This record gives sequence, C-alpha cells and structure tokens, in this order.
Amino acid sequence: MPTRKAYPLSIVLILTLTLLNFAGCGQKGSSKQLTLAVNSGVEGDALKQAARDYEAQTGVHINIAEFPYANLFEKELVDLNARTGAYDLVMLDDPWFPRFATSEFLSDLKPFYEKRGQSGPDDDFVANSLALGHHPYQTGALYALPYVGNSQLFFYRKDVFQKHNLKEPATWDEVLAAAKLFNEQDAQSAPGGGKMYGYVMRAAQGNAAVADFMPIFWAFGAEMFDPQGKPTVNSAEGINALRFMLELGKYSPPGYASFNADEVSAHLLQGTAAMSINWPAWISSFSDPAKSKVIGQMGFTVMPGAKNPGRAEIGNWLIAIPRDARNADAAFDFLVWATSREQMKASALRGNPPTRKSIFNDPEMVAKFPAYPQQLRSLENSRPRPRTPMWNEIENAFGIFLSKANSGELSAEDAMNQANAEIAKILERGK
Amino acid sequence: MTINFFRHERALPYLLLAPTVAVLLALSIYPLIYSIRVSFQTGAHAGWSPGNFSRLFADRFFLAALGHTLVYAVCALTFEFLLGLSLALLLNEALRGRNIFRALLLAPMMLPPVVVGVVWRLMLNPNFGAINGTLKGAGLDTTALTWTASPRLALASVICVDIWQWTPFMFLVLLAGLQAIPQEPYEAALIDGSSRWQTFRHITLPLLKPAILIALLLRTMDLLRVFDQVFILTEGGPGFATETISLYIYRTAFRFFDFGYAAAMSFVLLVLTNIISLLYIRLLQRQEAR
Amino acid sequence: MRLIKAQLWKQAFVALACLAALAPVYWLVTISLKSEVDQFAVPPRWFVFKPTLAHYADAFLARSFGQYLITSATVAVLSTACALLLGTLAAYALARFRLPRKLDARLALWILSTRMFPPIVTAVPLFLLMRDVRLLNTKLSLIIVYTAFNLPFVVWMMRGFFLEVPRELEEAARVDGDSRLGALRRVVLPLVAPGLAATAVFCLIISWNEFLFALVLTQTDAAMTLPVGIAGRVTQYEIKWGVMSAAGVVAMLPILIFALAVQRYLVRGLSLGAVKG
Repeated sequence: MPTRKAYPLSIVLILTLTLLNFAGCGQKGSSKQLTLAVNSGVEGDALKQAARDYEAQTGVHINIAEFPYANLFEKELVDLNARTGAYDLVMLDDPWFPRFATSEFLSDLKPFYEKRGQSGPDDDFVANSLALGHHPYQTGALYALPYVGNSQLFFYRKDVFQKHNLKEPATWDEVLAAAKLFNEQDAQSAPGGGKMYGYVMRAAQGNAAVADFMPIFWAFGAEMFDPQGKPTVNSAEGINALRFMLELGKYSPPGYASFNADEVSAHLLQGTAAMSINWPAWISSFSDPAKSKVIGQMGFTVMPGAKNPGRAEIGNWLIAIPRDARNADAAFDFLVWATSREQMKASALRGNPPTRKSIFNDPEMVAKFPAYPQQLRSLENSRPRPRTPMWNEIENAFGIFLSKANSGELSAEDAMNQANAEIAKILERGK
Repeated sequence: MTINFFRHERALPYLLLAPTVAVLLALSIYPLIYSIRVSFQTGAHAGWSPGNFSRLFADRFFLAALGHTLVYAVCALTFEFLLGLSLALLLNEALRGRNIFRALLLAPMMLPPVVVGVVWRLMLNPNFGAINGTLKGAGLDTTALTWTASPRLALASVICVDIWQWTPFMFLVLLAGLQAIPQEPYEAALIDGSSRWQTFRHITLPLLKPAILIALLLRTMDLLRVFDQVFILTEGGPGFATETISLYIYRTAFRFFDFGYAAAMSFVLLVLTNIISLLYIRLLQRQEAR
Repeated sequence: MRLIKAQLWKQAFVALACLAALAPVYWLVTISLKSEVDQFAVPPRWFVFKPTLAHYADAFLARSFGQYLITSATVAVLSTACALLLGTLAAYALARFRLPRKLDARLALWILSTRMFPPIVTAVPLFLLMRDVRLLNTKLSLIIVYTAFNLPFVVWMMRGFFLEVPRELEEAARVDGDSRLGALRRVVLPLVAPGLAATAVFCLIISWNEFLFALVLTQTDAAMTLPVGIAGRVTQYEIKWGVMSAAGVVAMLPILIFALAVQRYLVRGLSLGAVKG
C-alpha cells in the first residue's frame, strides 16, 4: 500500500531534481571567460568570428549573445541598468551611445590605457569615428572604440545613367530630375520586363525614415535643434526638405512609407529601382549572383548636396565595456586586439567598413573594395545624429510623422509641426 | 506521517490547491505590486506622483494605440466568430472528407505567431509578395494594394492575418460544443416540423451558448494583448497605423526605458481586460445557474 | 438532387477555407527551399523553382538553431508536465470539495483571472525577479514562467472534466478500499484522459510558440528558444528570409504533426469538459 501512495510524491521529487539540475547549468563564473553582446548581422558576425580566433589564440572562452538590431539596444540597456554584469563587452550603434554614457553604464577606457603605459588609442582611427566614443561628443572622456565605420553612400545605376548621358548626381535637384526621367522612360526596363522606379527610399517609422531623410534635411539647411537645444524641425528649411522628400517619393515604389532597409535592397538587387541612399554593408551583395540581377552595374558615390554641401549620416558600431563587467581587464585586452590594425583588416575582409585610415588607403584593400575612396570621403565628411540620450524616443516620434507624411496621411507642414511639438515634449520629460 | 496527512479529508483540498496558488501568487502578485510602485514614480521625482496617469490622457500615441487595439479586437473577434461558427456547423454534419478537412483547418493556430508574422510579411509585400504577384498574374492592377504599407489598409491587413490564424480556434471550440449537444431536441424538432432556421435559432444556439462564451472570452483576452505577429509584421507602422497597446508599452519600457509610464499603461490594459472578461464570466455563470 | 447540390456547395466552401488555411504554410516551405533570387521573383514561383537546402544548412549547421530547438523542446515539455501536475490536483480539489465561505468558487475565479494578465504587464517585473534570484538566461526561468502561464488554463479545463465524472464511480472505488487520491488515480484520471491530452496539447503549443517572455528573459544561445532565434534574423540591413523560413518550418513541423495526430482528442476533450463550463 505505501508504495502506491508515494507515487505522486516521487514524481514531484524527480521533477524538482531535474529542475535543480537545469538551474545549475545557467551561469558559471570563471575568470577566463568573456561574454559579448553582438548585433545579428554582418557586424556581429565579424566580431563573432574574431572571438573564435581569439579563443584559439589565448584560450579565453568567449560567450556570444546575439540579438537582432532592434532588441540589442533593449537588452543591453535593461541588463546594464539592472547591473546584472551579464556582459563584458557590448556592441553599440553610435546613436545609442549618449544614452549609455549619460547613465554612467560604461567604463572609462583611460585607466586601462594607463595600466599599459599608453595615453589612449593611436591616431590611425578616423577622427569622426573616434569622436563618437567620447562623452560629451568629441571632447569628453573615451568610453568606446569604433569597430565598424559605416556612413551612408549614394547608390545609383551606372548603366542607366550612361544610357541617358547623365553624370553621377551631385545635387538633390539632379537626383529628382533623373528619377523623374527614369520613371517616365524606363517603364519596362527592369530585368524580366517589370517597372523600374527612379528612386527607392525607406520611410518606415523609426530609424529608417529618419536615416533616409537626414541627408536631405541637412543639405536643405535645416537643423534639428537650435544652439539652445530647442527643436527646430519645423523651420522653413525643414518643411522644404520634407516637401522635397515627398516629391522624390512620387518616383519611389508604392508602399515605400513602410519600407525598411531590406525592401530597399530587394528593389536595388532585383533591378527595379535606379537610385537610393544605403549603407556600405550592401555593396558586396550586388556582385553576388545568388542575390543580384544587376552585377557590375551599381555605382557608389558621396551624398548629393543642395543649399549646403551633401553630408552623409554616420552610423558606426562601437564596442564598450559595461561598468559592471565581471572581467573588465580581459575585456579590454580583447577590445584592443579586435580593433587593432590587423584584426580590423580581417573584419574588413569579412565585409565591414573599417574605422582606420590605413585600411581604407591600403592598395590591396582598395583593389578588393573599389568604393573605399568614396567611403572614406563620405565618412570624413559625415555628421552624427544629435548626441542626446533621448535620441531613441525623438527618432521614434520624428520617424512616425515622417512616415505619416510619406504615406499621405499628413502634409509636410503638419507633419513637421506635430513632430516639433512631440520632440519638445520628449525633451521636457528628459529634463 | 505524510500518508496520514493525505488521509485527512479536511486538509486535502488545501494541500492540493497550495502549490498552484503559491506559484500564481508569486508570479502575479509580485509583478502587480511592482507595477503599482513604479507607475507612481516619474523620472525626475523620487516621491509618489500621479504624473504618469495624467500623461495618459494627453498622449495621442497612447490614445491611438488604445483605439487600434479596440478596433483590432472587435473586428477580429466578429469575423473569427462568424467564420468559425459556419465552419463548425458545416463540419458537424456528415460531409465527405470531414476528418481530413477538420485536420487541415487546424494548421494555422498551431503555428508560432512569430512564424505567422514572417510568412505574411513575405506574402503581403506590395512589390515582391506572393499575393500581389499572383493578382498581377491574373491581370489585376495592384498599385493601390499596398497592404501593410498603406495607412488605410495596414490595420485591416494585420486583422486579416489574425483572422487567418485564429478562426481555427473558434472553429475547434464551437465544433466541440456542437458535438456535445444531445440528439433528442433535434428529433423533437423534426417531429414538430420546424424549419432549419428555427431549429438553429431555438435549439442549437441556446445549447451552444456556453461554448460560444468560452470561445469569445479566451479570444478576447488574447486579442487585447496582441503583440507577436504585429511586432514581426509591421512593428506598428506605417507611421503609427498598427501600433497596439502591448507594442507601445513594450517600446516605452524597453526602448525608451520609461518603466513608470509603461506600468501606468499596463494598468489601463489590465483593467480593461478584467472588466471585459468579468462581463463574459457573469454571463457564463448566469448560464450555468439556469 | 437539391441535396447533392447543397452538399457540393458546402464541400466547395470548406475546401476553399482549407486552401486559404494552407497556402501560406506551403509558401513558407517553398521560401525555405528557394535561393534569394527566386524568393523575390515577380511573378511569384509557386511551383517551379530550383530547390536548395542551403538555408537549412545555414540555420542548423552554421547557426545555433539546433540548440534553440532543443531548448524549446525541453522548456515546452517540462513546463507542460509541471502545469499538468499542479493544475490537475488543484482542479480536482475545486471540482470535488466545497470549501467554507464559497472559497472554492472564489479561488476558481481568481485563478482564471490571473490568465487575464497581459504578458507585457508582467514582463518587466518578472525580468527583475529572475535577476534577483539569479535565474536570468536559464531554461528554468522559462519553465517556471510558462508553468504559471499555463496553470489557470489547466485548472479551468480540468475542473470542467472532473465535474463531468459522476461522483458515484469514485465512491464505489472508495468503498473498495481506495484512498481519495487512489480513487483519483485509478478511476477518475483514466476517464478524463482525453481531456488531459487535449489540455496538454494546448499547453505544449502555447509554451512552444511563446515569444515575449523568451525575448525578455534570455540573453545568450544557452537559453534562447526557436521563436526568439527566428525573430533574431531581422537584421539592420536585411532580413534573412531563407534562414527564418527554414527555422520556421522546423518550428511548426513537430507541433503540427503532434497536434494532427491527437486532433480527435482535441475535439472530444474539449466537448467533454471545458465547453460545458
């Protein structure tokens, strides 16, 4: 009899034991171990591979936590704020940096350099890239090193421009005229006989719309904030810039108000659009026959201008050490190793634009990546997004109104006025 | 000792209930207390402040997200119910191939919502998607059909995806309800010579009411919290056209890092869900008492 | 004649519904087998394309989807087992005992009401709770959360099934010398087995498919589940449709096969209990 009654109890017991067993294998603590938070994508992949090489060389075990772009920021912010110490190194997209730096979540790198008898990083880094890791911008203490040197480039179809006897566009007006021309005359010129659109942009709410708008916004002479820090997106220049974007949108594929980078790239790769702003990460895809129908036909140049000379938005990936990292010293060793000349070349060969001038100028690399001179020119001339800890919230609100204007829900004027009011509210809350 | 304790009839129900109650208390009361505490804290001030709650009414994004969620829930629920009921009625009869049809119809509800989001994002792409591609092949002009990319069609598209995934659930619960109805009332109706509509109206519907209420209750709770598919499908866009409450709370908490305001919004969602659910449960209990 | 015509119409309607239900699933499978150029071809290639297994290799050999699969399975099975064990006992108590001051009815309602908590409401506090007990990024944290998430459902379903079983059967067994729990195990449980199976299937599906908690509570490959892994293929510049759909196919297959195998029980189980309230 007793054996039968003990039956449910034994189940409970077995289950408890199994569970305890699982709890055990959760977190191990050892000094020869680093945890890296990386972006799932080409940048994170390169760092992951570098980490494997480092493991083989030094015997330091490296765990990788990989997240999609949108979630990486959330994960890092929540974990660093909760002081879990889960990560020894974090990859940061540069517009996130002010948020982390103002919250004092990151380690100042100076003491680590001093321990090695150095004063700081060498001067091979592109100044615009290194400036991003300082808080305050450019002038303050150094909290992060730049790993991937992205800045926007202007993509255009060389063959289509040649066919119409046009040179590569230097101003936004030329872009608009060309887009109109292609749209009218190249109705069936996409591979397979589909329509080729003159231009393709991404105006999905959030990061996408803002990134594609900023170069136009700046070129038209608009600024997000006045010197006192008040939002000024609804200035006459700002509204004109948005009007121009809407004009250009007429030659963009239908539904572009919801496009993200993937849709833009799909259009360029399938040959159904002739021009776009995009990131250098895409350059290599155009020569991959499994993805591209326009092999050898894509040209890359610096951002067109208008009232002001054209400037691209910078979008670098930084690597930083959280304040609560469990193995900060080992993390710093890895950081210096991964951003060294030799390793950055390896990363560049894996498809990431470097942040070191010497690699951009390396003839061997230029032979492999013919757009490097334009990339360096664009990077050295680039502008960062405004350095405010509230940027994510501001970008989100700004992007919503840009997207609404592009989908026809709001006029340019209404969109900018509403965006300005919303941004003012966000800044007020941030005080 | 233990065995004696188990024999003790008076203690037994409490003993059986204790683990469940303990787990649920720990994982629901703790979050509740936490939420109450943070929702009364605003960034700048350390003390208690109702700032987050007053902000709700001036926040056009919040009000829009609330509106979207309600429209989403009402539309999806209506269509899922009507479609689910028709399918259940059809497949409750002796139809050839009934078992196969029934099995095939259940497929969508088994899929992870994340995967559903992926599939439909692919299918609804205005330029490369299978739907517009197929329509174009049939000679239709698809330039205006931008689905999730159009502010007018986006919410409707997202709702259609929900209907696609969850009509099977309605169907399943209602079919189960139909099969539990005894045959006698129908035989009596046949003798009385009632029309099919009368039989449905006066026999099927009343007897099916508990199943209907359960199905509606479960779906309503899930609809008000919808997150996964929308997160993958549109991320709330274009503009703000498909942002639901859950998405906005998620964004506020994890992207803007404003836990206080997120908690305040969570409260509204919680209260809303509770009120609606309690209405259903009231109806159900009245049904049971009868 | 009219009857046959009506029958045909009905069959056509149901067949159309099935087509609508299955076409996207089929499309997902084809995407997972196509190269990038074919994935976005216009007009879409529904039937004719050159199949490749490259995306499956990419997902399960080059990336960690194999590991996610194991995590998902472990978490789903164990959390379902826990929820069934705890929930069935509680449901039995609620179905068979009258507690003072209507405590049983009130508890039943309270248990149901915890399921009304939208996950987003509890996500942040649970993250902090798991951090404090050092369970962040473990399978155990997901098992605990999913158990709690499924418990109300189990209790509510199983209470319905138990109410259906005539008390007399149990009393007869007890006259034969069984204890209360003995009678539960030997007499009542076999009778509600279809219901138990239906409940288990639902719990498994919910745990297997869950996304939000898994997203918030896991940090590395050590505890990531399939849905989180799949969503993770949306990168800044591109969406890895091939890898996502390959993993999606693998995520849906086991649950689909399993659910189809027991679908008879699903309907029977539901009609037995829950539906009757």
